[in-house]
Amino acid sequence: MPAWLKDQLPLIVLLLLVLLVSLSDSGFMAPGNLLVVTADTMTLFLMASGVTFVIMTGGIDLSIQAVASMTSCIVAALLPSLGFAAVPAALLSGAVFGLANGVVTTRLRIPSFVATLAVSGVATSVAYLVSDARSVLIAAADRDAYLGWAVGEIGPVQNEILVGLFVLVGLTLAAGLTPFGRFVRAIGSQERAVIASGIHADRIKIQAFVISGTLAGLAGVVMAGRLGSGSPTLANEFLLPAIACIIVGGTAITGGVGSVWRTFIGALIIAVVRIGMTFIGVSVFAQQIVFGLILVAAVAITMDRSKVATVK
Amino acid sequence: MTTVLEVRNGSKSFPGVKALDDVSIEIARNEVVGLIGENGAGKSTLLKIITGIYQLDEGELIVNSRTLALKSPRDAFDHGVAMVFQEQSVLPTLTIAENIFLGREQEFLRFGLIDRKRMNAAARDELAKVHLDLDPATRTADLTFGQRQMVEIAKALSLDSRIEGEVIILLDEPTSVLEQREIDLLFAIIADLKQRASILFISHRLDEVLRVSDRVYVMRDGRVVHEVASADAKIHDLHQHMVGRQLDHRYYREQRQVAADERVLLKVEGLTRTGAFNDIAFKLHAGEILGIAGVVGSGREALARCLAGLEPAESGDIEVGGASVRIAAPHQAVAAGIGFVPSERKVEGIVAALDVSENMSLAAKDRFLRHGLIDFAAERETATTWVRRLGVKTPSIRTPGGSLSGGNQQKVVLAKWRIAGSDVMILDHPTRGIDVGAKEEVYELIRDMAAEGLGILLLADTLEEVIGLSSRILVMKDGRISRTFEAPVGAKPEQIDLIEAMV
Amino acid sequence: MTGWGRYRSLAPVLVLLLLCLAISAINSNFLSVPNFVRLLSAAAIPMVLVMGATFVILMGSIDLSVEGVVALTAVAVSMLVANDVTSLDLGFLSLPVALVVGGLIGFANGFIHVRLRIPSFMATLGIGFACVGIATAVLGGYTVRISDRGFRDLTLGRVLGVPFSVWTAGLAVFVAWIIQERTRIGRWIYAIGTDEVTARQVGVPVERTRIWVFTIAGLFYGLGGAMSAAQLGQGHALISQGRLFTTITAVVVGGTALSGGVGSVLNSVIGVLIVVVLTNGMVLMGIPPFVQLGVQGVLIISAVALALDRTRLQVVK
Repeated sequence: MPAWLKDQLPLIVLLLLVLLVSLSDSGFMAPGNLLVVTADTMTLFLMASGVTFVIMTGGIDLSIQAVASMTSCIVAALLPSLGFAAVPAALLSGAVFGLANGVVTTRLRIPSFVATLAVSGVATSVAYLVSDARSVLIAAADRDAYLGWAVGEIGPVQNEILVGLFVLVGLTLAAGLTPFGRFVRAIGSQERAVIASGIHADRIKIQAFVISGTLAGLAGVVMAGRLGSGSPTLANEFLLPAIACIIVGGTAITGGVGSVWRTFIGALIIAVVRIGMTFIGVSVFAQQIVFGLILVAAVAITMDRSKVATVK
Repeated sequence: MTTVLEVRNGSKSFPGVKALDDVSIEIARNEVVGLIGENGAGKSTLLKIITGIYQLDEGELIVNSRTLALKSPRDAFDHGVAMVFQEQSVLPTLTIAENIFLGREQEFLRFGLIDRKRMNAAARDELAKVHLDLDPATRTADLTFGQRQMVEIAKALSLDSRIEGEVIILLDEPTSVLEQREIDLLFAIIADLKQRASILFISHRLDEVLRVSDRVYVMRDGRVVHEVASADAKIHDLHQHMVGRQLDHRYYREQRQVAADERVLLKVEGLTRTGAFNDIAFKLHAGEILGIAGVVGSGREALARCLAGLEPAESGDIEVGGASVRIAAPHQAVAAGIGFVPSERKVEGIVAALDVSENMSLAAKDRFLRHGLIDFAAERETATTWVRRLGVKTPSIRTPGGSLSGGNQQKVVLAKWRIAGSDVMILDHPTRGIDVGAKEEVYELIRDMAAEGLGILLLADTLEEVIGLSSRILVMKDGRISRTFEAPVGAKPEQIDLIEAMV
Repeated sequence: MTGWGRYRSLAPVLVLLLLCLAISAINSNFLSVPNFVRLLSAAAIPMVLVMGATFVILMGSIDLSVEGVVALTAVAVSMLVANDVTSLDLGFLSLPVALVVGGLIGFANGFIHVRLRIPSFMATLGIGFACVGIATAVLGGYTVRISDRGFRDLTLGRVLGVPFSVWTAGLAVFVAWIIQERTRIGRWIYAIGTDEVTARQVGVPVERTRIWVFTIAGLFYGLGGAMSAAQLGQGHALISQGRLFTTITAVVVGGTALSGGVGSVLNSVIGVLIVVVLTNGMVLMGIPPFVQLGVQGVLIISAVALALDRTRLQVVK
């Protein structure tokens, strides 16, 4: 496969899928429907957006669904008393868990898939404590007053889309214009050369985890707004699709290559696949199977095997 | 005499290097053959051919009168060729017996289960051959380094009773980790071994080679250049053969060698790291190229890595530009103005996914930052300048570092440190794995840096290179500086002098 | 090995003893025969699962598919014995079916990981999720109730006052120990986990062994799935929630290193007991159950950090 084709494959796949679905469902291409589909995809994209950086460094963050659930509980529980301040509080708690992930994996030198799995246990505990093991309802008035930025509409455009685009642009600029973005790529490509150049690779990795935790937190807040409640299991079933949309977008699990833009495309691919499956009558439950297989296949295709001597 | 192993007209190339060039050797039954040569002479490539890690491009490998294409060390083992690895292959989590028979447990299976009693008894027999009185059920993690080496040898010997045909044992630097007592024991074992096996013995220590072997091959530049019966060999002659041709002064740009400045850029005192180097002291002056010579294990690589902050020392003082600095991590070395050009360029030098300009500005800290953002214009300009100045052959400064040739990658790494403003450069095998034309360009660049007043610490690939380039040479042996040679133009030390200080 | 290093292998046992002492000092109910039986009974299923996971981790890999395999096999078993959804009534014949299903999924894990050369955590994550998906899809989110009393005795029946599940777990430990100590696969697991390159050089069939080990792990999970169904008397897709976490905690707390090569199934037995005793202690002390997840998370981190071999430091991803 020529390099340019491999590079553009996710976009081509997306367009083909859209074409395929719109051929069988004429209503799919209606502008209103496309907006709804995109808006529905944004929580998934938000969860995956930050992890993209972690994966680009060659690590992984398996705590995002636990963190998102936790912040949904936090924001729902705090809204009545703190008002809008509940939102930054929730994001901050996401950031703190991201920091914990980063510190545990770099300072204690624990592989990230285990470190983040362990930290996610703590996050889930916090979620249960905050929510008292129940769904925490958000009053409609509170939601409109404080979460309108996430779940309202401006004209025909849902605010989720704007939040998603804001994150997409922000992270893309950060990746392209700051040393952080460059070091993330460099660490994923050859960490030892980066360290030998006098760069604090661990700090960069911690920053990536913090971004991942914060954005998982944001995803939790937006989800809470959409559903009108927070719950300790709110974001369950989101981890696999989130990882899948990063990999499907073309970011390699081995690190070094990738972008948030690719994750955006990946999220749309996952969304369209889901719609397509629903359309042909695959049950919601069975879709999980397909995503599992898509993930494995995408990892196998994008992975750079020259970088790993022994695959463990 | 029956020949049990022969390499006939063997050649082997790697990108940019001809590692073996028409090499022929043979080992007769019950013979001990020594193999000597400088680092990079082709000894280890030859070994890897014989043990099936590499395959010959041309020529034949004949074992027990059969021409073979060995696929793996295990394949070689099954054909009677056993290697005692320099970096030990004894696994610390397994017992002695398990290590000896790893991958060959078949003979001890009963109803699919391993009969430990029988396996341990068999292991005890093998241990007896190397006079090692240990319980075979001991975990090898609990053994000394020397004992593990003996287990390794016992493992090789276990072939003896298990295959038809002759057994050939390859010993690669087996004495480098042993105590004198263990060395004597090893030699006794080799003498004993000769009754039933043939041996190829590789060592840096010529006296040892002459002591145990019947015949010696000398390798240089991928070729066998000399063959002599040990009884007729003289150490001095062997050194001469290892060294070879006369130097071409122009090749190393000796006309450009400058006298070192008085100014001390780097001063090291009492630097120690247990097991690597001991009480190292030297000064590096501006404009000086200070070569460090030594065999593998002399501690020179560890010293270079220590000064780059990659493997911190335990004690000792380092001063850079007159100020005392602590170097426990690479960022401290970089901040002090020390640049490190690693021997493993693709691991610690170039970042494959970053483009040329990104690689060049990697160590430059805040130089290309404006309001926290990358100043692409300034970066581009600097990169373009250095690409021109060092003659980096690249389609553009946007080309990924990973797709350049070795020589051009090396130039990018050099540019990285020049841009970072390092005035002490540690060059760890700067010409390793790059082709001849690019080598000369690198020599030119090294001279440029010295002319501009940088101090250069050079670990060269060959003795020829270290002598040609350096203005002063430290020779390291067993972790200490054993001698210092002044190397002014016209009065360079001879390679043979260096070798005698090295081994 | 010097000083602390030599005794580090005893640390888990010490932790277990101290834990028991501390809990019995706070709550006298801890040191009672009924509580011990309860402890062992709670440890039975984790014990079976951990036996499989230990082998995978000893090899330096990881298996994140535990929950998926347990869920799928539990659902499969519950639908094969007398139940309220299908009209089948295979009784104990469902047990080999669970083992086969578990083994096949394990084989799939290993095969995908080895042949497609993708990291085990990714392969098993994908397969594990797919299995939960299948379990959910088969039942459409419902729960199967098992009406076969005899089958439920597989865990609930008592022999010498001890639940049958405990005996089964004991048997599983014995089998795992035999595999570890007396078979070639067992020895090769250590060789691969210690130094895969050397293992390959001396002729250990690394790829084949890896696939075998994932398959063996799947067999243990299959048994664990059948036991889960029998214990709860039902089958549903969420039956295995939390199992992955407990499994990894137990392996790691027991002293088996994530980097491979160091540890043993016996370590993991101690690990399971630590986790179960801790949970039991927290229940006795009235700590809400959801805090336990957090405690386990902290436990994983501290155990791995303490067991870290600082002589083998490399870049950690």
